[in-house]
Amino acid sequence: MADQLTLDIAKDWLARFGTAVQEHKAHLTELDSAIGDADHGSNMARGMTAVNDAVAGSAPAALDEMFKSVGMTLVSSVGGASGPLYGTFFLRFGVAAGETDSIDAAGLLATLQAGLGGITDRGKAEAGDKTMVDAMAPALDAFAASLADGGGLADAARAAATAAAEGRDATAPLVARKGRASYLGERSVGHVDPGAASTAMLFEALAASVT
Amino acid sequence: MSPPSRVGIVVVSHSAPLAHAAVALATEMVAEDPPAIVVAAGTADGGTGTDATAVAAAIEEADEGSGVVALLDLGSAIMSAEMALEFLTGDIEVRLVPAPFVEGLVAAAVRAAAGAGIDEVAREAADALAPKLSQLGERGDHRDGATQEAPVESDADARATAVIVNVAGLHARPAAAIAATVGRLGADVRIGAGGRWADAASPTSLAILAAAPGTTVEIVGRGPSAQDGVDAVVALVESGFGEEIAAEESGEQKGFTPDTGGEARSAAAAPLSAPLGVSAGRVVGPVRQAAAPAQEPPARMVPEAERTAQAERIAPACAHVAQLLRETAARVDGERAAVLEATAAIALDRAVREGAESRCREGSTAERAIWQAAGEIAVALREAGGVIAERATDVLDVRDRVIAVLEGRELEAARTVDPHVLVAVDLAPADTVELDPSTCLALVTERGAPTSHTAIIARELGIPAVVGASGATTIPDGTEVMVDGGTGEFVIEPDRAQRATVRERIVPEPLEAAGATADGAAVALLANIAGAHEAREAASWGAEGVGLLRTELAFLGRADEPSVEQQTREYGEVLAAFPQKRVVIRTLDAGSDKPVPYLPLAAEPNPALGVRGFRTATVHPDLLARQLDAIVAAITGGDAQTWVMAPMITTPDEAAEFASLARAAGIGQVGVMIETPAAAVMAGQVAAEVDFMSIGTNDLAQYVMAADRQSTDLAHLTDPWQPAVLAMIAEVGRAGEAAGIPVGVCGEAASMPDLAPVLVGLGISSLSMAPRALGPVAASLAAASLETCREAARAVVGARSSSQARADAAQRLGA
Repeated sequence: MADQLTLDIAKDWLARFGTAVQEHKAHLTELDSAIGDADHGSNMARGMTAVNDAVAGSAPAALDEMFKSVGMTLVSSVGGASGPLYGTFFLRFGVAAGETDSIDAAGLLATLQAGLGGITDRGKAEAGDKTMVDAMAPALDAFAASLADGGGLADAARAAATAAAEGRDATAPLVARKGRASYLGERSVGHVDPGAASTAMLFEALAASVT
Repeated sequence: MSPPSRVGIVVVSHSAPLAHAAVALATEMVAEDPPAIVVAAGTADGGTGTDATAVAAAIEEADEGSGVVALLDLGSAIMSAEMALEFLTGDIEVRLVPAPFVEGLVAAAVRAAAGAGIDEVAREAADALAPKLSQLGERGDHRDGATQEAPVESDADARATAVIVNVAGLHARPAAAIAATVGRLGADVRIGAGGRWADAASPTSLAILAAAPGTTVEIVGRGPSAQDGVDAVVALVESGFGEEIAAEESGEQKGFTPDTGGEARSAAAAPLSAPLGVSAGRVVGPVRQAAAPAQEPPARMVPEAERTAQAERIAPACAHVAQLLRETAARVDGERAAVLEATAAIALDRAVREGAESRCREGSTAERAIWQAAGEIAVALREAGGVIAERATDVLDVRDRVIAVLEGRELEAARTVDPHVLVAVDLAPADTVELDPSTCLALVTERGAPTSHTAIIARELGIPAVVGASGATTIPDGTEVMVDGGTGEFVIEPDRAQRATVRERIVPEPLEAAGATADGAAVALLANIAGAHEAREAASWGAEGVGLLRTELAFLGRADEPSVEQQTREYGEVLAAFPQKRVVIRTLDAGSDKPVPYLPLAAEPNPALGVRGFRTATVHPDLLARQLDAIVAAITGGDAQTWVMAPMITTPDEAAEFASLARAAGIGQVGVMIETPAAAVMAGQVAAEVDFMSIGTNDLAQYVMAADRQSTDLAHLTDPWQPAVLAMIAEVGRAGEAAGIPVGVCGEAASMPDLAPVLVGLGISSLSMAPRALGPVAASLAAASLETCREAARAVVGARSSSQARADAAQRLGA
């Protein structure tokens, strides 16, 4: 049970996230084929493979250095919209984390919120637009609520993972208003948003890493 | 800062093949010297996607110092491009343009290649969807150079709808009529059709509406004159802009090509896939390529302090061009004059002027601003298609003329004396107006349509013409070609068998014998001309003399008065073409209506009723004195029977004054023109002062009917068949007979074969007209006895309407 997000735990988080998207590549792509361009699984798998290769091949001394590298690697390797979105998330995350080798739970909440801010700046999506924001925003709310209730890092991360999964599932009845899926309009109803699905994996990986 | 570099372009796409194909398409437009275009597309492994780092690198590569405009396809392309801006380290100005990808790229490439600034390149790209919206009739909130936003409901002080009823729809001339009317009333009126709105004071804006017959247009007015403006527009639209009547305007044209008008309209919408004959006649001759159109003015960023000065150059240059066009219009007749008046209206169009002025304020030179503003409107007109598209040439012609004025050049149509087939991409109104039918054997254009100016004027001048001849402008000068304006045949280097067919050319017959009625009463058939060149042509058509030499040609369109020597030479050449024949010289008919710089007159609200014609002689007597001296000097050197008359006489005293001046100068036969109702009513007393009278039916009809002769809407009133006009002519005829002096007609009426016998019956002894009308008029006179002519004359004066007058005359004349 960790109470800090250290460099090693961060590496583990990224590795688990990479493994998850790799394992669920087909599922993510299937979700994307219903309402997008059928590349989210392969794009994210490619991106996270590049991320983990980069992380493994370097010895970052601080979280900011590490997550800026993650962000840039995603930007230049994912291809689809998730490249700039996840890229911006991790870049802002790294900047917010600062030149340190570990952050506590409150610090992690702040960095995650900075990352979400990057996503909404970039994609201009709001809650209910059927995007990754619909998984990430409730996750951070749950993370904050858990800390407020006196929970530790692991409790908060678990609460966030649960909320992200619920947020993911709640995208199914929504009408897409952003991205390629928005061209489908009403026809996007009934499908889970693939970005929300990969976001749920990100928080599940975080919860697993800090437990 | 005025960087010598150009704006770079970055193309961000999910797909490298898509981006490269789009770039290839855009580069075709600017193959000579494309701007820097860098692609950021696809993932590093060749897949579909975008990469913000690659976009940033592309921006850095494309920048030459003037900034970069980025075109984006969709989704992550937009986000990657936005993200790339955060990665840029240097100080590069970048515009991410919300433009349609392909259209925007083409527009941006063209503008960037031409050296436009970053804001202009970005704006052009962003507006690039407008032509497609216009073409496909899409309802939307797009805006292009001329269309307006829909008016807010609560803003309207007056509102109405009307249905377009005329065959050709809301094309250039109706648009000009609406704009003129609204402008006169000072009303703020907008007209909407198909979801688009136009400023009713802007003819080009209206034309882009492309409202076809049957279209319901909405008319919305604001401000104090709103109701008047809306009512006036409704009346114009519902009257069909007088188009039905306009078809009868030119009896001369109708006589020779009775079928082309109707065919032309129905064929207008058909695309030209092959050369199309638009004016009959079959000729062979050597090609002469028309002068190339104006070159695009170079781009230069004007320092802020000088921008207002650049903007202020636009309006005077436009006004000057309009004036020059109107001066030319004053020298020619009928359709040619109407075309020039319409072109002059474009030069004064608010859309053109304001578009250019706003570009000046953004740092463009005046030359370049007018180039781009007019170019944009021309593009919009072309995209509108059909009859409207043909007006794009007029706008570009105005553009070239305004640029010439701004650059201090005079744009002169090249003239050649050798017979030739004139080949051009398209001919501007002024080009065709200045055509010389005696040397121009035929016209061949790559563009154009049956209703284009090329076609209309070629028919009027009787020059064979073929339009839609792709590639014709690549034929070297001097190459023999055969042109058939009836069938559309266009043969390069025709063989002997093909040449032999050229004899089939049908032309009006020249006059073979002196004009006379069936029973031998002589009627002198004379020519209206404006210079020596036309004099020689008129002689070759068999004219018995000149009934009207317009001397304005020597005076108008120049900065200073021609010297007596110059005038003498000009008149002498005319007289030499008609040895021992009658030549009637009219003294300068300038003034408020046809201003000349060295004849300063106060501006008048109503030039047609102002200081014009002989009235100018009271303000500037020296000018007339020098002209009379020049005429006398010319007479002395020749052996023509030279008569001299003054224009625009109103009172017997004026007639007496002119007669004494002319006789004192040494002129033997002195006359006056009868163009005012006052002179016609007082013709008996006027006749007592002079040796002859000549009726100018165009102005006489205008003043008798109180109807502007330029107004298309009032053409039914200025019809010379109006019984009131004919009654005036009868009055003058009687006065002439009583005084024993000859009375002629030198207006449009004289060239109408069906009206000619009536005029003779009214006491007219000479008819002066365009040379091509001589044959048909002679044939018509030869078919009726003098007594029949008189019967017809008595019938028309008692008629109630112009149509009844026509019918009565036709019945008497057995036509």
